[in-house]
Amino acid sequence: MNFTFTDEQAMIGETVRSLLAAECQGSHLRALMRAGATHDAGRWRKIVALGLLGSLVPETVGGLGLSACDLILVAEACGHAGLPEPLVETAGIALPLLAALPDSSRAAAWLARAMSGDVTIALGHPVNPFVLDADVAGAIVLVVDGALHLVESAEATLIAQPSVDPFRRLFSVSAPTSAATMIATAKAAAPVLAAAVNRGALFTAAQLLGLAQRCNDLAVAYAKERQQFGEPIGSYQAIKHHLATAQVRIEFCRPVVYAAAAMPPDGGMHAKARISHAKLAATEAADLAARTAVQVHGAMGYSWEVDVHLFLKRSLALANAWGTPLYHRERCAMRVFGAPVGPAHTFAQELRHD
Amino acid sequence: MKILVPVKRVVDYNVKVRVKSDGSGVETQGVKMSMNPFDEIAVEEAVRLREKGVATEIIAVSMGLPACAETIRTALAMGADRGILVETDVELQPLAVAKLLKAIVAKENPGLIVMGKQAIDDDMNATGQMLAALLGWSQGTFASKLVIEGDHAIVTREVDGGLETVSLQLPAIVTTDLRLNEPRYASLPNIMKARKKPIETIRPADLGVDPAPRLTLVTVAEPPKRVAGVKVKSVAELVAKLKTEAKVI
Repeated sequence: MNFTFTDEQAMIGETVRSLLAAECQGSHLRALMRAGATHDAGRWRKIVALGLLGSLVPETVGGLGLSACDLILVAEACGHAGLPEPLVETAGIALPLLAALPDSSRAAAWLARAMSGDVTIALGHPVNPFVLDADVAGAIVLVVDGALHLVESAEATLIAQPSVDPFRRLFSVSAPTSAATMIATAKAAAPVLAAAVNRGALFTAAQLLGLAQRCNDLAVAYAKERQQFGEPIGSYQAIKHHLATAQVRIEFCRPVVYAAAAMPPDGGMHAKARISHAKLAATEAADLAARTAVQVHGAMGYSWEVDVHLFLKRSLALANAWGTPLYHRERCAMRVFGAPVGPAHTFAQELRHD
Repeated sequence: MKILVPVKRVVDYNVKVRVKSDGSGVETQGVKMSMNPFDEIAVEEAVRLREKGVATEIIAVSMGLPACAETIRTALAMGADRGILVETDVELQPLAVAKLLKAIVAKENPGLIVMGKQAIDDDMNATGQMLAALLGWSQGTFASKLVIEGDHAIVTREVDGGLETVSLQLPAIVTTDLRLNEPRYASLPNIMKARKKPIETIRPADLGVDPAPRLTLVTVAEPPKRVAGVKVKSVAELVAKLKTEAKVI
C-alpha cells in the first residue's frame, strides 16, 4: 500500500497552489467584495485553462477519468486560498454527478458546456438547505420528489438567503419542472445523490484543511511581526502554545482527509464513515485555527483590515455545507455500532482497496 | 529545429534560505525545491517557438541528483518533448555544466539553446557564456525578446541604460531575462501526458566529462543585519551626516 501522493498528484496540487497564490490574494478578494461580486471572470478563465474541470468525469465522455485522490490537493489549495470561484463544486461534485447519468442527453449537453468552462452548474441537494451560487450558474440541478431535474437559471425563481460568507451566496430555488427537464428518475437519482454527498463532504473537508492551514499561517506571520515589550509576540508562550495546538490539530486532520480520499467510491459504510470522520476533523481543525488566528491578531482580528475574517467566515460556512457535524457523527456512529470493529476487520477493509 | 533547454533544480524562490551552521553552504534538507525561475522562462519561450512552428522538438536537460528528474518532469508538463538527466552526486559548477552541455549538444545537434541567464541559488550568470565559448556559437544574453528570422535569431537584450538588439547566426545560445515572457502553468492534461514522455538518464562519464569542481568554496555567511535608521531633524543635519559620518559626499 502506497501512502504517498504520486508525482503527478503532487504537481497538480502545486500548480493550483502557485496559480492561486498569484491570482487569489487577500487584495483580490477585497476588490471583489468592494465590487459586490462573488466571482472573478479573469481568474476563472485561468483556472479553466488548467483543464481541471473534467478531472473526475470518465474519459468516455471527454473527461480525464481521475479519482478523488487526484483532486484532493487541489481542493486543499482552494481552501488555503479562500477561492470564491466554484472549482471544487464544479469539478469535484456537479460534473461527476452529471456524468453519472449517461442516459440523459440534456445532462450530457450541459456537462459538455460546463467542462469547457462556459457555464457553471449549481446543485440543489437535499443535504444542503439552500443552493450555492445559483445566481451565477447557467443551470441548476434540483431534486423534486426524488427525481433529478436540470433547469436553466433564467427559468428559476431565486430567493436570496442570508449567508455568513460574502463569497458564498445562497438561494432558495423553485422552478417549473416537467418530463423535459428531468435527467434522472427517483430510482436512478438515489445512488447519484448519495455519491454526491460523499464527494461534497470529502472535498469540503479538504477545503477546510487548507483553510485551517491558511489561518495558522496568517497567525504565525503576524506573531512574528507584531512586537510587544520589545519582542515579537510569537516568542511568548501565551501565543506560541496556542499556535502549536492549532498546528497539531491540523497535522492530525491531514492524514484523515487523505485517507478518506483514498477510499474506493463504492466503499459503502466504511467509506462513508471515513469521509464523515474527515469532515468532522477538518471542521474542528478549521474552527480552532480560525478562532486562534482571531485571538492572536488581537483587536486587529476583529477588523476587516487583516484577512482573518475572510477565512473565519468561510470556515463557518463550510462547517455546515454537505452535512452538519450532527449528520456526519451519525454516519460515523453507523460504522462504529453497525459493523464489526477491531484490527482484523479494519485492515481487511483496507486491503480490499489497495 | 531542435531546442535544448537546460533546467536547474534550486531552492524555491519563496523559501528563505538559511546558512548551515558550519558555513559550508545553505540548508537544502527538507526545503522545497523548484525549477529555477529563469529556466521556466526559457522553457516557456521554447514552447512558444514550437507553437509558432519554428521548433520541432524541445529537449529539457537537468544535471545533479536523481531528484532533478522532477524538474525535468515539470518542463515536460509545460510542453517539452523529452528529457535528459545527467545524474551525478558531484557538486556541479558552471564550467562542468557547460562542458556536459557541450557534450550533449554534440549528441543532439540542436539549432538553439535557450537557458536562464542565471540560477537563483548561486547567481553565477556564467554557464550560458561559458557554453557559447566552448561551442564557438553566438550568444544573446539577458534576452527580453526573441524572434527567429530564417537562420538568424533576433535578440533584444536588456543592458545598462536601455535595450540592445543583436542578430545571431544560428545555432546560437540565448539566455533569458525576467521580462521575456510569463511562464504558463502546466495544465492537468499536460501533467498527465508528461508522465509518459521519456527521460534518458546518463552519467558524466558517458559523455566523457570530468565534472570535478575547480573552485573551492571558502565560506558562506549571512549578510550583516541592517541596523536601525536614524531620524534627522533637518536637511542640514542630513547633509552633515552624509559628509562626516557616511562620508559619501
